[in-house]
Amino acid sequence: MKLLVIEDDETTGAFIARGLREEGQSVDLVRTGRDGLIQATTSAYDVLIVDRMLPEIDGLTLVKTLRGAGNRTPVLFLTALGSVDDRISGLNAGGDDYLIKPFAFGELSARVAALARRPAALEQETVLRAGDLEMDLIARRVSRGGVQIDLLPREFAILEHLLRRKGRVQTRTMLLESIWDIRFDPMTNVVETHISRLRAKIDKPFETELIKTVRGAGYRIEA
Amino acid sequence: MSERLAPLLRSMPLRLALGLVVLFSVISLISLAASFLVTQRSFEQAMRADLTQRMAGFRAAPNATAVAALVKAEARVTDPERMVLSYLAPNRSHFGNAAIARDDEGYHIVSLDQDSPDLKGRYLALTAVLHGGQLTIARSRSEIEALRGVFLNILGLSLVPTILIALSGGLYLAHRGARNVNAIAGTLDRLTNGDLQARVGMVEGWSGDLADIADRIDQMARAQEASVAAIRQVSSDIAHDLKTPIQRVSVHLQDLSDSSDLPTDARRHLESAQKELEAIGSVFGSLLQIAQIESGSPKSGFAPVDLAELLRTCADLYGPAAAETGHDVTTEISPDVPLVSGDRNLLMQLLANLVENAMRHTPDGTQIRLSLAFRDGSAVLGVSDTGPGIPSAETDNVLQRLYRLDQSRGTPGSGLGLNFVSVVARLHDAALHLDDNAPGLRVSLTFPPAQTS
Repeated sequence: MKLLVIEDDETTGAFIARGLREEGQSVDLVRTGRDGLIQATTSAYDVLIVDRMLPEIDGLTLVKTLRGAGNRTPVLFLTALGSVDDRISGLNAGGDDYLIKPFAFGELSARVAALARRPAALEQETVLRAGDLEMDLIARRVSRGGVQIDLLPREFAILEHLLRRKGRVQTRTMLLESIWDIRFDPMTNVVETHISRLRAKIDKPFETELIKTVRGAGYRIEA
Repeated sequence: MSERLAPLLRSMPLRLALGLVVLFSVISLISLAASFLVTQRSFEQAMRADLTQRMAGFRAAPNATAVAALVKAEARVTDPERMVLSYLAPNRSHFGNAAIARDDEGYHIVSLDQDSPDLKGRYLALTAVLHGGQLTIARSRSEIEALRGVFLNILGLSLVPTILIALSGGLYLAHRGARNVNAIAGTLDRLTNGDLQARVGMVEGWSGDLADIADRIDQMARAQEASVAAIRQVSSDIAHDLKTPIQRVSVHLQDLSDSSDLPTDARRHLESAQKELEAIGSVFGSLLQIAQIESGSPKSGFAPVDLAELLRTCADLYGPAAAETGHDVTTEISPDVPLVSGDRNLLMQLLANLVENAMRHTPDGTQIRLSLAFRDGSAVLGVSDTGPGIPSAETDNVLQRLYRLDQSRGTPGSGLGLNFVSVVARLHDAALHLDDNAPGLRVSLTFPPAQTS
C-alpha cells in the first residue's frame, strides 16, 4: 500500500511513518498543507492520513480541495479536536474516518487498513466461513466443526462483523462504532467482556482459537 | 383568572387607579349629598308656603258652611295621593277627599275609599281651626322622595364612567408596566441560568429611563459573556496545546516498548507510565469536550433521539462487564415515550457515565436499573442503584468539575463523570436530580415537554 502522511508535528509524523513502514507499507511524509496538496495531486495513494491543524493550508480545506478536484482517495483525519461537531465537519469535508489524539499506533494501523479496503464490507455473501466455523446469515445459525453454537443477537453481530473483515484488525473503538453506534471511549472494558463471552462459545470448547487478540490494537479472525 | 390578576393587583399603576376611584367616589358622594339636602329643604319650604297660602284662602271664607262648600268643591278635583283636604265642621259632619284619624301613635290620614282605606306615603300637613271646625290641608312628600331617586341616579351616572375609565386606564398601565418588567426580568433570569447571550434589547415605545436600564443590563451581559468566553478559550487552548506533547510522550514510550532488550523491571515501569498517560489523555479529552459543549454551538448536532433505544443499547453494552463486577443491569422502559431533541452521542455518553459510576462506586450484588418514563408530558430518564448512595449534603458538590467524595478517593475515576452529566443535561434543557433511592442513588433527567410541532 502507498500512504501519504500530512502531519506538522515532527515526532508524531515520524512515528506514524516508521510504524507503517515496519508493517511493509510505502509511506511519504510531508509537514505542511501546501506540500500535502501538491503531493496528493501528483502521485496516487491508497490512503491519506491528514492532520486537521496544519500550517499554510489546514486539513479541512486540503481535503475539500482534493474532493472538489475529483480525488476520491480515502482520508483519515488526525486531530486534537474531539467533539462530535468537529467529527461531523471533518466527515462532511470529505474525510472517511477520524482519529483523536492521543491515539495508539494499533488504532491508526487498523483504521488505515479498513479504509484501504473499504468496499470489502459490502460483500453479499450469505454464508461466512473461517476455518471450520460456518455462519449462515439467513438461517442465523453458527456451527463449528459441525457442532451447533447458540449465540445471543449481539454476539452474532460481533462475529459477523469480524468474519466480514477476515484478516483485518478491528479495534475496540471500531467495534463500538459499528456494533453499538458509540463514538466515545468507555472507561470500562466493555468490548473485552463481550469478546470474551463470544470466545467462551466459539473458541473455548474447540482446539484452535479463531479470534486472535492483536496486542495494543484489537481483534482479528485469521483468513 | 385570579392567578393572572394577582400580580396585576400588586402593580403600582393599578393601585393608583383604585385609589383615585375611591377618592372620586367619596368626593362625588359628599357633594351630591350636600346638594340633595339643600334642594330637599328648599322644596319643603316651598311646600309649606303653598300650604300656608291655601289656608289663608280658606280663612277668607265668611262662615263654616262656606268653608265646607269650598273644601267640597276643591276635594272633588284633587287626588288624595297628591294633596289631602279634610274639614270637620262644627256640626261633626266631614268634608274633603280624606279623613284624619287619631290613635296612640298620632294622627293618620285615612282614605274615604272603602277598598284601600290607608293612604301610603308621608305628608306635610297644616291644620287650623276655622269657624269652629277643623281644616287640615296636607301635601304628599312623594315629590321630595322622588327627588332622592333623581339624585341617586345622578350619582350612579357620574360615578360609573369615572370608575370604568380609571379602572381600565389603571389596568392598561399595569399591564404595560408588567410587560416591561417581564422583559427585563426574563432577560435577567436567562442570564442567571447561564444563557449569556440573552439581551433586553431596544423595545419600541420605551421611555428614556427604561431604555437606559435595558442598555445597562445589556452592557453588563456583554462584559460577562466576553470574560467567560475568554476563560473558556484559554482552557480550550491549554487542552489543545497539551494534547500534542501527550501524543509525543506516548510515541516515545511506544518506541521504548518496541525495543526488545528491556529488563523486566523497566518494562513494568514503562507499562504503568503508558497506563497513566492514557488516563491523562482521557481526562484532557473529557475537559476539552466539556469546554466545547459549554462554549460552542453544540445544539447544531441535535436530532430526534429515541431514548428507549439508547437505554437498551446501553444495557446491552454494559451488561456483560457489569455482570463481571457482580452488578445486575436491568431496564424498565415505558412504551410510547416520544423522541426527544438531542445529541445521541452525548446522551449515550451521559448514560454510560452514570452506569460506570454505579459500577465503580457500589459493591458486588448491587442492582443498576435504567428506566424511562413519561410523566406530565416529559420524558424522564433514570439511572438508579441500590448501593451506598451519596450523602444528601454532597449532592451539589458531586456535580462540580473534578470533585470526588472522600469515600471514593481510592477508586479509579477522573471526577469529571457527573460534571459531564450535568453539562450535557443543561445542554438539553433537562432537569438533573440526584435523589436517595433508599438505599442507593437515583439520578434522573427530566427532559423539557415535547413541543407539538
